[in-house]
Amino acid sequence: MAVPYHLLKACGGMVFAAQGTDIHSFNSNLEYVSTWKYPVKPTETTDISTENPAEVPTGATPDVSAPSTPEGPPAKRRRTETGTDNTPEPTATTTTTTTEVPVKKGRFHRSPVQAANEKPFINCLISSRDGRHLILTTGSDKTIWVLEHDGQGNLKQLSQRPMPKRPCSITLTGDGNTILSADKFGDVYALPLIPTSDPNPNPAAAADSGSSTPKPILSRSATPSAAAAAAAPAAGGFKPQANEFTVHTRRNLRALENQKLSMEQSKQLLKEAKTNESEKPSFEHTLLLGHVSMLTAITVGQSVSPQTGIPREYIITADRDEHIRVSRGVPQAHVIENFCLGHEDFVKALSVLPGSPSLLVSGGGDDDILVWDWLKGTLVSRAEVLKHVKEIAAEAEKVAVSRVFGYQTEGGETKVVIIVERVPALFSYTLNPSTNTLEHSGTVPLPAIPLDVQVLQDNKLLVAVDTSSGDYVSTLVVVSTAAEDGSTVQTTPAPNLPAGEVKYGAEELQKLLYTTETLRKLSDFD
Amino acid sequence: MAPVKKPTVKKDKKQKREEYRAAMREEGVSSLPRKKFYRQRAHANPFSDHQLVYPPQPDQMDWSTLYPDYIAKDSQEIRAEGGSSDSEAAIPKRLTQDVEVADIGCGFGGLLVALAPVMPQTLVLGLEIRVSVTQFVEDRIKVLRHQNAETGGYRNVSVLRANTMKFLPNFFRKSQLSKIFICFPDPHFKARKHKQRIVSTTLNSEYAYVLKPGGIAYTITDVPDLHEWMVQHFEAHPAFERISEEEQDADPCVEIMRTATEEGKKVERNKGQKHVALFRRLEDPDW
Ligand SMILES: C[S@@+](CC[C@H](N)C(=O)[O-])C[C@H]1O[C@@H](n2cnc3c(N)ncnc32)[C@H](O)[C@@H]1O
Repeated sequence: MAVPYHLLKACGGMVFAAQGTDIHSFNSNLEYVSTWKYPVKPTETTDISTENPAEVPTGATPDVSAPSTPEGPPAKRRRTETGTDNTPEPTATTTTTTTEVPVKKGRFHRSPVQAANEKPFINCLISSRDGRHLILTTGSDKTIWVLEHDGQGNLKQLSQRPMPKRPCSITLTGDGNTILSADKFGDVYALPLIPTSDPNPNPAAAADSGSSTPKPILSRSATPSAAAAAAAPAAGGFKPQANEFTVHTRRNLRALENQKLSMEQSKQLLKEAKTNESEKPSFEHTLLLGHVSMLTAITVGQSVSPQTGIPREYIITADRDEHIRVSRGVPQAHVIENFCLGHEDFVKALSVLPGSPSLLVSGGGDDDILVWDWLKGTLVSRAEVLKHVKEIAAEAEKVAVSRVFGYQTEGGETKVVIIVERVPALFSYTLNPSTNTLEHSGTVPLPAIPLDVQVLQDNKLLVAVDTSSGDYVSTLVVVSTAAEDGSTVQTTPAPNLPAGEVKYGAEELQKLLYTTETLRKLSDFD
Repeated sequence: MAPVKKPTVKKDKKQKREEYRAAMREEGVSSLPRKKFYRQRAHANPFSDHQLVYPPQPDQMDWSTLYPDYIAKDSQEIRAEGGSSDSEAAIPKRLTQDVEVADIGCGFGGLLVALAPVMPQTLVLGLEIRVSVTQFVEDRIKVLRHQNAETGGYRNVSVLRANTMKFLPNFFRKSQLSKIFICFPDPHFKARKHKQRIVSTTLNSEYAYVLKPGGIAYTITDVPDLHEWMVQHFEAHPAFERISEEEQDADPCVEIMRTATEEGKKVERNKGQKHVALFRRLEDPDW
């Protein structure tokens, strides 16, 4: 099945398009430059020795090749089958070898590398503002990839980091140094864009080899640093722990080890700790906040703090249960400033409007898109979507907004373009700055179903459309926004690219491309 | 398909239960409901959707049916324009005061019933995820109100079916609550299920959101591990500090929490331990 481009990113004069597991780059004339390929064959390792707790050696038997760390015994490095590893050589700043979590065979081990019978597929694609880095995520292996862009369209892989749960949306903090990853189980993690050389990159392995004491209560994510907690004053004001949610330190594990447990509990917990460790990444990642719901979108907003007048960053997260949450940025992400509540169905897409950064537009399963003063948590206005969908698809009864893309035109107007899942059109809105309302300024019919949209020079929009139905062949469409009345849609034939290595069945591809409507709850009360 | 044998005994039981519960819904019932007609399996997954009813945001919550004696005199229900079912423009009747105390996972309502006369000026709400358990508490409060019609007792407590792990901010505004009770929460022993625990560092941010600075989160459990877990997670959260034992022992709510909850009584009968920990909501630091 031909895989269409399903994610686009225009930055630094280049265009990047995800196609299944590949990222293609194009120059500003949309001429093909190069391709980054997902290393399809996962590194499979069977590490039998860690399966049975009884067989774990209590004293470290260091592998000759294991890097020794400043503190404690060298981390036991798990053997990787060389030769099956397609991964490009890691650069000096990455710790690719230690970040690869080996596949364990066993009833309780959910493989962190490859979900059973699910093929890899790129599900998020973002870039740093300067266009120097691309960050993408792949679903089946829950991995965040950072690629370096040389400015000419060539991409080099810098790191690959498998997360505890599947990332659903990612963004970068305003300074561009930190990736925020929002996952399927509701948690948001912060990771440095460039992985730091952590003095103890593999705490799990170190703890394994360091002692035979059972490691109790290792929560999958929510365990706070017990060490930090212990260090904090028992009573008294604010405890300034920048990393109180950090779950990667060895001290953390040690402190937990010190807990007294009965023998029976120990046995049970040891078993579970094993299971958990297989899920625990070994690179620096900090739990910032969490919803008890699947997260669908994450973005950041900048504002002057109403309290201190200092310019601050805020983290905005949306979930399947209609919530939009506004939290303070790092290091106070545990403080919820507000909720933007009013959606009556899932939220899927967020956009802080460039040019009107106090406004947030959100869309999802509701008939309207909503405009918020996000810092106050107040609804400012709504704009109809279903009504305009019905103008071109009369039978439509509900909508699933999959993209909300806000941008500023060269003339200084603020516009919002949205994609409604499976509707072959773009819906364009213009912000009326005096009323903060979005006025529908046009519906652009398309020759096929749009999957993603970006803005190019000269107020042109680049749209990736689904060609898998077969009757339309060009996967990139350029739309002049002057033509919102629908008069001109210029199509750009896609260059002939090598087919990706991963093949998808027709039905499988549909499932991977159209994920928005599946967020709707079955038991809607309407 | 082979014919399915009808579980006649079971059906009788179910029928009885339904009849009993229907009868309890009648006006003027004066005997307290019996638990055996409201049993439900112990666990509900907080991650699943259920068929929950909740307001899109706190301003749209209709409290008037839960606390009918507290409806503001001048308050009128504003229906959505054109009488449509669109909840968007509908503003429910206002109360003279807000709910200030929440019992998270209130079970059969022992704490609510005990708190009602202790804080008669305060609106107390129990939140419970299991349908029939919630219905039991509803019926229990209804009968108590009826039995105490002369004194007007129990009008300040009520119950609501809700998944608090997801929808707390749908019911309560920022800093609305002064007390939150988390009594004998489900322990979820398996590490794999820890995310289902009702106390976690990330959920504590939501408790901090609905609690006003100076407000208190009360916890009690008979499971030492869970006590340890709750203490760790609250202490690790910058918005909370543990309250000293002296202050804890002086708080009358602590004794009620120990003795009035159904779980507390069960633990008493089994001669189990009760571990109590209280946490104060601190002011947020400058930002
Ligand atoms: C062990 S019982 C304790 C009941 C009561 N607090 C007592 O002490 O007698 C825990 C209760 O929490 C409820 N519960 C669990 N998760 C919940 C959730 N997410 N939202 C609301 N209630 C929940 C359960 O249904 C159960 O009734």
